[in-house]
Amino acid sequence: MANRASETKAATVTADPYPAQTPAQRFVLVLSRVWAWVFLALLIIIFVIAVPISSGGSVNFVTLRNSQNILVAIIPVLLLGLGQTFVIIGAGIDLSVGWVMSFASVLSALAIRAAFNSGVPLFFSAVAGLLAAVAGASIVGLFNGVIIAKLKVPAFIVTLGSSFIVRGIALLMSENTTVIGLPRGIRSYGNDSLMYFIRGEGGGLYFITRPEVSGEMLRRTDGILPYPVLLTAFVVAIAVFVLHKTQFGRHTFAIGGGLEAALRTGIPVPRHIIKLYVLSASTAGIAGFLSTLRFTAGSAVIGDPLLLSSIAAVIIGGVSLFGGAGTVMGTVIGALIIAVLTTGLVMLNVAAFWQFIVVGAVVIIAVLIDQSRDLIVGHYKSEQPP
Amino acid sequence: MSKRQVFLGLISAAVLVASSYAAIAQDKIKIGFLPGVVDPFYQVMEIGVEAAAKELGLDVVIQVPPTWGVEIQTPILDAMIARGDLDYLITAPTDKDQMIGPLQVAVDAGIKVITVDTFLGDGDYVSGPVKFPISYIGSDNVEGGRISARGLAKAINGKGRVYINSTNPNVSSVEGRAVGFNEVMDNEYPDIEVVGLDFNLDDMNTAVQQTAAVLQREADLAGVFGTNVFSAQGAGTAVVNAGLGGQVQVVAYDATQFAIEQLREGVVSLVLAQKPFDMGYMAVQFAAADAAGVTSLPRRVETGFAIINADNVDDPAYARFIYQVPN
Repeated sequence: MANRASETKAATVTADPYPAQTPAQRFVLVLSRVWAWVFLALLIIIFVIAVPISSGGSVNFVTLRNSQNILVAIIPVLLLGLGQTFVIIGAGIDLSVGWVMSFASVLSALAIRAAFNSGVPLFFSAVAGLLAAVAGASIVGLFNGVIIAKLKVPAFIVTLGSSFIVRGIALLMSENTTVIGLPRGIRSYGNDSLMYFIRGEGGGLYFITRPEVSGEMLRRTDGILPYPVLLTAFVVAIAVFVLHKTQFGRHTFAIGGGLEAALRTGIPVPRHIIKLYVLSASTAGIAGFLSTLRFTAGSAVIGDPLLLSSIAAVIIGGVSLFGGAGTVMGTVIGALIIAVLTTGLVMLNVAAFWQFIVVGAVVIIAVLIDQSRDLIVGHYKSEQPP
Repeated sequence: MSKRQVFLGLISAAVLVASSYAAIAQDKIKIGFLPGVVDPFYQVMEIGVEAAAKELGLDVVIQVPPTWGVEIQTPILDAMIARGDLDYLITAPTDKDQMIGPLQVAVDAGIKVITVDTFLGDGDYVSGPVKFPISYIGSDNVEGGRISARGLAKAINGKGRVYINSTNPNVSSVEGRAVGFNEVMDNEYPDIEVVGLDFNLDDMNTAVQQTAAVLQREADLAGVFGTNVFSAQGAGTAVVNAGLGGQVQVVAYDATQFAIEQLREGVVSLVLAQKPFDMGYMAVQFAAADAAGVTSLPRRVETGFAIINADNVDDPAYARFIYQVPN
């Protein structure tokens, strides 16, 4: 069976991409895999030490609230980066994700409002919003994928073009404004947490409902696991499973590792590429839905500033821009590095603009490490049997 | 008095001094300042914030978003909340609806909010949909739009076609300006037609392009209203590039030095200066007053305008409202 054969071959390609290593080569390989984690750890250590010093001891970087903050802050960049991880591993690129997110934000707000106003209960109105966001985004992904895979237009061009189209549609649909009039409970879905913890006197742990407190107790109340974080974690878990444990994931690596070889082994390449772009658009759609919940409104410009950050997160996370290599957790780390930087710099009271300089430097370092690995160890494409 | 008594007395004195210091340290409030975006208007506001904080001996933490937008402003806001040491936040919400949730989080964390320049909901913190901010301190933007409309109408002798270039939808400040502008043109000037409103999404290049295109489309365009720094500078640039400086009148909201230059060159006929210094300065004073227990702070303060034209631009009484940003 051609399919089975392709599967085993694809698996061998990814299982041991760098055979025959000297200790030095092994060191470079290990470094290239873990440096982003090391960098993140260093960053956190720097902030843990510097933040209390700069504030005279009144501010700490490691607090329950800040940890939850960072988890919330990574959501848009991470969700845009998740689908992008698959696309780039498959040797493509999706430049439309930021605007697909905006489009999905408008769609979900319109859907939630329409559903709720016609008597649908709050929770199911939100579900309708999620479905509308993902379905609308998927149509864009399908459009991208079909033109890239079937008409052989470079992904760069197609997704650049569709980003403009989608942006225009979103602005038109929102009638030049923010889509408001959502039920109040939507704000709770987007901002409330699974648990609340009150530190110190009269405190304790509360589930689901925010405890009614006032005065200085407010400052001691922190949310734990905001709902958007839970949904995002669920999506990340699915992405890890799909990329690293399924045939879909193996085919993605195989296509990115070498298109010719993938075709020869019988992988349905065009079909798979279409799926990759639908997947990428879908995670952007979820990002749009969550932004609608969080800000209790749909916005046609919400994703505008996020594309470059999301690609930066993917690259920092070690996904090769040439395709064929990368992990979902790498992208999570990349998004974390960006969020930790933003938060830490604000807490240090350093201008947020430094974030750009550091992220830019880290992106270049990431690519340098990727390249030096290939130089020292040899890119596995050359190791493949003819 | 025995040695022991002296010793005890010294210790208790030391404890007293230390505890009163601690009390002072605790009473000293800390204020966060989070404007909308990097631009000369907010820079002047920042100068006002710093001036008041210095006079009152307060600490301020200032963070300026690199670009306009809720996805940029919110993570910075969250990090400021996470500091855990801020008592007050002075901010210009980048969307009147979308920023309600994130700023509610600040309030839930025990931080009191004052909005400057832009407001939440409908800006009526007494009986409107959003009540949690202490105050809104800013321009009456609808009135500013009306003043701009009358100024432009006068410059074009009460007839012709005019165009509005604005930044983003659903931002209370620029939205109000367009509303006031349209209202006056509709009601008071039957011979003036407003031929369009474009959003440049806070990008000056886009403002230039949009205005240039409208100049192409409307060959007899008489005037342009730029609703903020970027819009007015872009509109002015497009008019100059088209060789229509002085022919097409521009009214500029915000008295940047660039707008004043264009006023001197005859491209811009009227510059509406807001008072960002007042907004920043007063907001800090409001925070200090609230912390001291003052309960009768007005929930809405309109800081007014200075209307600058070619005749008064060199008069120090007006020139002082030009946005002076240190280099």
